[in-house]
Amino acid sequence: MTSSLANRSVASTSNDRRMAGRCLILGAALVMTAIGATLAYAAQTQVFDPQTHKWVDYDKKKARKYYAAHKEVPEAFRPQMVKFRTAEAPGTIIIDGNKHFLYLVQSGQQAMRYGIGVGREGFGWAGIVRVGRMAEWPTWTPPAEMVARDPNAAKYAAGMPGGPDNPLGARALYLYEGDQDTIYRIHGTPEPWTIGLDVSSGCIRMRNDDITDFAARINVGAKVIVLMQGAALYKGV
Amino acid sequence: MSAKQSSILAVALGFMAQSLSACVSTPPPAPEQMSRTQVETAPADLQLLCANAVAKASGVDSAKILPISSSKIDSKTYQVELDAGGKKTSCLVDTEGNVKSVEPI
Repeated sequence: MTSSLANRSVASTSNDRRMAGRCLILGAALVMTAIGATLAYAAQTQVFDPQTHKWVDYDKKKARKYYAAHKEVPEAFRPQMVKFRTAEAPGTIIIDGNKHFLYLVQSGQQAMRYGIGVGREGFGWAGIVRVGRMAEWPTWTPPAEMVARDPNAAKYAAGMPGGPDNPLGARALYLYEGDQDTIYRIHGTPEPWTIGLDVSSGCIRMRNDDITDFAARINVGAKVIVLMQGAALYKGV
Repeated sequence: MSAKQSSILAVALGFMAQSLSACVSTPPPAPEQMSRTQVETAPADLQLLCANAVAKASGVDSAKILPISSSKIDSKTYQVELDAGGKKTSCLVDTEGNVKSVEPI
């Protein structure tokens, strides 16, 4: 629908907007240099079809078709408690960008796992950051570059109010590197069928019900470890 | 039973076993394992167990250690490459979560 990378809440300052613009330009340059490396790691998602007992490629077209038929994402991408052997403290958030899972570490070597959508080729990133702040049903304001080229975005130049059609969905968690906003977010989405795919400009998206549940379980300041093989960019390390 | 009868019985049993095995399909994976990627990377928890082991072995602050790539090298072992404060390190970890080795690259 839009460039998640440039999404921000109404609470953001004009400084954030300038930073988003710079990051988009930097991102474009990184895309050109990193795309070769990323392609080498391109990992096509596959899901198990219980009817045919075969693994099938899961792309945008199939994802949309699956969602239309089942009104749900495939079972693997629905929230579930899983075994997770780790020395990380409960409350730590771990993102496996390759496998499209977000883990929230629990006690007893377990984690709550959610399905996610991540950055498309060239937009993947990895690092160790933290949740700087959170917002409910945040306003989305497209950056000037998007307003200039996209008439749909131009309608919301002054900000799109929070709601079911807003690209940020029900919640946005703003990821910080130290005290600096990385411009990356974990947020909801009005396009739930994109879970399990590489679709965004670097933000991590979750179904609105999932981000609401997840946001209620975490605290501002939570450590976030982002794993992404073939990432174009590293943050916080 | 004659040798001929024995061999006929053996062949018949063989055919029966083959027919039965053809009817038994591989059980589906558990719900949490019903997705995968064509290129298999190490599970996230195993990658982070390696990061923890590298921190202990190198003395580098764990906040500066990040797994950057991984691959399956046999049915029970993954190799994880990490960036430890700018130094590349390789780690072998088994599917049970036992770190087998940590070595600079």
